[in-house]
Amino acid sequence: MKSSKEFIVETIVKTLNDLVDTLPDDQKFEPHLNTILFGTGSTIDSLTLVSFIVDLESLLSEEYSQSISLTDDRAMTREKSPFSSINDLAEYIEEIIDPALVKKM
Amino acid sequence: MGYQGKVVLISGSSRGLGYIIAEHFLEHGARVIGLSRSEHKFESPHYHHVIVDIGNPQSIVAAFKTIAKNFSTIDIVVNNAAVLTSQYSLIMPIKNAVDMVNVNLLGTFFVSRESAKLMRKSGHGRIINIGSMAASLEPMGDSIYAATKVAIQTLANVMAKEFASMNITCNTIGITAFDTDMLRSHTQKAQEKINEIIKNLPMPRKALAADILNVIDFFASEKSSYITSQTIYLGGIN
Repeated sequence: MKSSKEFIVETIVKTLNDLVDTLPDDQKFEPHLNTILFGTGSTIDSLTLVSFIVDLESLLSEEYSQSISLTDDRAMTREKSPFSSINDLAEYIEEIIDPALVKKM
Repeated sequence: MGYQGKVVLISGSSRGLGYIIAEHFLEHGARVIGLSRSEHKFESPHYHHVIVDIGNPQSIVAAFKTIAKNFSTIDIVVNNAAVLTSQYSLIMPIKNAVDMVNVNLLGTFFVSRESAKLMRKSGHGRIINIGSMAASLEPMGDSIYAATKVAIQTLANVMAKEFASMNITCNTIGITAFDTDMLRSHTQKAQEKINEIIKNLPMPRKALAADILNVIDFFASEKSSYITSQTIYLGGIN
């Protein structure tokens, strides 16, 4: 099943790597499960984060055949931001995907 | 000037000023994506029409999914679609007020936003909003219309900051009265009011298509990569 956390982490890391490729050499980094995406210690600036979210939403919406928003009220009102780390983001995405809408591959 | 190889998106392209702008870009070699609620009259194979309700964000997002399948990027966007009801605030119908906000302001926001998502892939873009003299002159009867036209200037200015790192510029042209279906659909009294406003402009005449296209070409030019967050009014208004 494609909604497994492992697959989601792969998708996040791939999306992030595509963006990292466009960054100047001194800002490049290797994404890992604990990479902080937002807040203190974040490895990317806010505009890069916006680009990352747009790319990831688009990829996930296509992959799972449903509209996925990572910045709606549900995400923004959580006690712990889904963007605290790649691991947290993957768990959040796994939680919001509606399995009933996922097309079987 | 040439727009060969450029993809230009124009909202409200099926008539009035939007039609003229689309014709202009087609004549100069661009491929044009036109958005409007109605069918179109263009025969050019370089014209691609998408039926969309600019006052409905879901309709805009859906339209851009179709556009993204056919075009890998957009170079220039002209946010032209607008509706206008000129009426005193105390008796402005609710629906007309809401429509103006939805089409003129939110429509411009969502078309710009969805376009920028495509533009950022190529690291280049021009967003041009069609504003109005009403934003500066604040005539009676145009409370909502003028407010939406001020709002799209602000929209362009904020987006100019957000999109600068992607080399996307965002500017506004504040046009004066121009002979369009929208203008001709006004009541006799409203037209008299507009004529009175025109009479008092530093340049006391209506805008010509060439006046408007000149500024659009300026903002759209590759040479204008350092021009962003600007509003240019026609006719001596500031």
